[in-house]
Amino acid sequence: MEAGSAKWQRNLFIASFIIPTFAFFCIFTIYPVAKGLYYSMFDWSGMSQTKSFIGLDNFKEMFKDPIVWRAIGNDYFLVVGKIIGIMVIATFFAVALTRFNFKMAGFFRSIFFIPNVISVVVIGVLWNFIYNPQIGFLNAFLSLFTDEKVTITWLGFTNHTIWMLLPPAIWAGIGFYMILLIAAIQNIPASYYEAAELEGATQWRQFRSITVPLIWEQMKVSILNIMMTTLNGSFVIVWIMTEGGPDNSTQVMGSYLYQMAFRQYHFGFGAAIGVLILMLSLITTVVLQRLLRHETVELS
Amino acid sequence: MNNGIRNPIVKIVFYAILILWGLSVLYPLLWTLLDALKNNDQFFRHAPWSLPDFPLLWSNFSYVWNKYNFDSYFMNSIIITTGSTLLGLLLAATTAYVLARYKFMGSGALYLLYIASMMVPFILALIPLFFLMNSFHLINTKIGLILVYTSSVLAFGIFVLVGFFRSLPKELEEASIMDGASYFGTFFRVMLPLSQPGLITVAIVNVLNIWNEYIVGTILVNDPTQYTLPVEIGVMQAEMQYRTEWGPLFAALFFTIVPVLLVYIIFQRKIASGITAGAVK
Repeated sequence: MEAGSAKWQRNLFIASFIIPTFAFFCIFTIYPVAKGLYYSMFDWSGMSQTKSFIGLDNFKEMFKDPIVWRAIGNDYFLVVGKIIGIMVIATFFAVALTRFNFKMAGFFRSIFFIPNVISVVVIGVLWNFIYNPQIGFLNAFLSLFTDEKVTITWLGFTNHTIWMLLPPAIWAGIGFYMILLIAAIQNIPASYYEAAELEGATQWRQFRSITVPLIWEQMKVSILNIMMTTLNGSFVIVWIMTEGGPDNSTQVMGSYLYQMAFRQYHFGFGAAIGVLILMLSLITTVVLQRLLRHETVELS
Repeated sequence: MNNGIRNPIVKIVFYAILILWGLSVLYPLLWTLLDALKNNDQFFRHAPWSLPDFPLLWSNFSYVWNKYNFDSYFMNSIIITTGSTLLGLLLAATTAYVLARYKFMGSGALYLLYIASMMVPFILALIPLFFLMNSFHLINTKIGLILVYTSSVLAFGIFVLVGFFRSLPKELEEASIMDGASYFGTFFRVMLPLSQPGLITVAIVNVLNIWNEYIVGTILVNDPTQYTLPVEIGVMQAEMQYRTEWGPLFAALFFTIVPVLLVYIIFQRKIASGITAGAVK
């Protein structure tokens, strides 16, 4: 009986540490996600009486909706723009602050990370002020070079306003990926660089032949992470800065989901957009992983 | 020996880039403070970078604090952030410890489930969460937000803490069990104190994420007395279209930024290592 009771005690311990967390996780994460998949097959305005099963009709309707296509286009515009912008700048800073013997490298590193601890809402409001047509920074700066006061409504164009959302997104993202890449570069054995120095390799050559191949894994993680966080989360800055407007031109999938569900009460349609986001982020992950793996082979 | 950059012109250019980027980060923080001291008239008459006129309008801060009820938003944010961070830490640490040290049926799968959940877009859960919380009568309550936020930080905490517990030597626990301590006693008296660095890292990353969270807060709260700071900032900025109070808006931003900046300055190293730990899945 002694052994049995010890085993029972062990199991009790395991259960009491696993079950509360798991129950919590099931109720507030797994259940809502599963329910989101389920709702996507209903025509539903939020009241239980009006919920009717329509199978894949939400998805059919979705692909006929030009705003959905625009949102997908905007999402991928931000994905590509952020990957290029963030990776170039973050890699440059990471190399500059580790390999170039700059003074105050630690100070710069601390400063550059600050936007990552500030709420996206605050960042959106600050950049709105930069773009403000009457009292904003950008117009005031441009007015220095012109006779008349510049009053461009930077967030008011129906065609290119999505470009205006790229600078804040890149500005806010740099620090995190820079820290990730700095950690990777610091893991490279110093002897590699010493050998290269002895053979007279330039900094650029060292960067291409030593740094990039050896931090490629972290660069890949960064690119995938930028893609995922953009598809899943870019709508917050969009919502704060433009609410998807003007005329739905800056709508991304997340903001359109929010608008359809919580402003227009098409909850089934909103849930279907959620499923679309999930699908696209899974597909894009697989595709990117393919592309980037190929690249590694070429480099090594 | 690393010689760095030899060409002086390249070096100057690189320094200039670093300094400019540093200014692009620091200057908005400074102007948030300076613009919080202006009245509307100064916003419209002077350039945005001009310094505020004397006397400085410190009253904008008390105005936002009292008239915009930032005292209660601040308290709401503090209560919600503290509550969900502590609860999240307890739930994550207990499960992480068992997953790191004990094998049982399905333990590997459970670990994978938590990790995989970090890949699922949270926005997919948004609509069902609203109805779930509605049916629990937890809309417009702090408890409701605490429950959802706690759940949203579990996977990250488990991921980091499993790694941390695995790195601790097994001898200490074995000795503690030999001495006759219970499993619970061993965890709370031996392992938890030892894992303090890991716990602090997770806690701080969670504090920042929860303090800054906007979208769940917007959806689960529509009673103005229950707003958190980011939710109120969003509302304030939308209202700026008809009620222009720029000085108070910047004062409000200042109240929102200062606590996270202080946390960042104090725990800088932990934050950098903690945030990047989550990305390297």
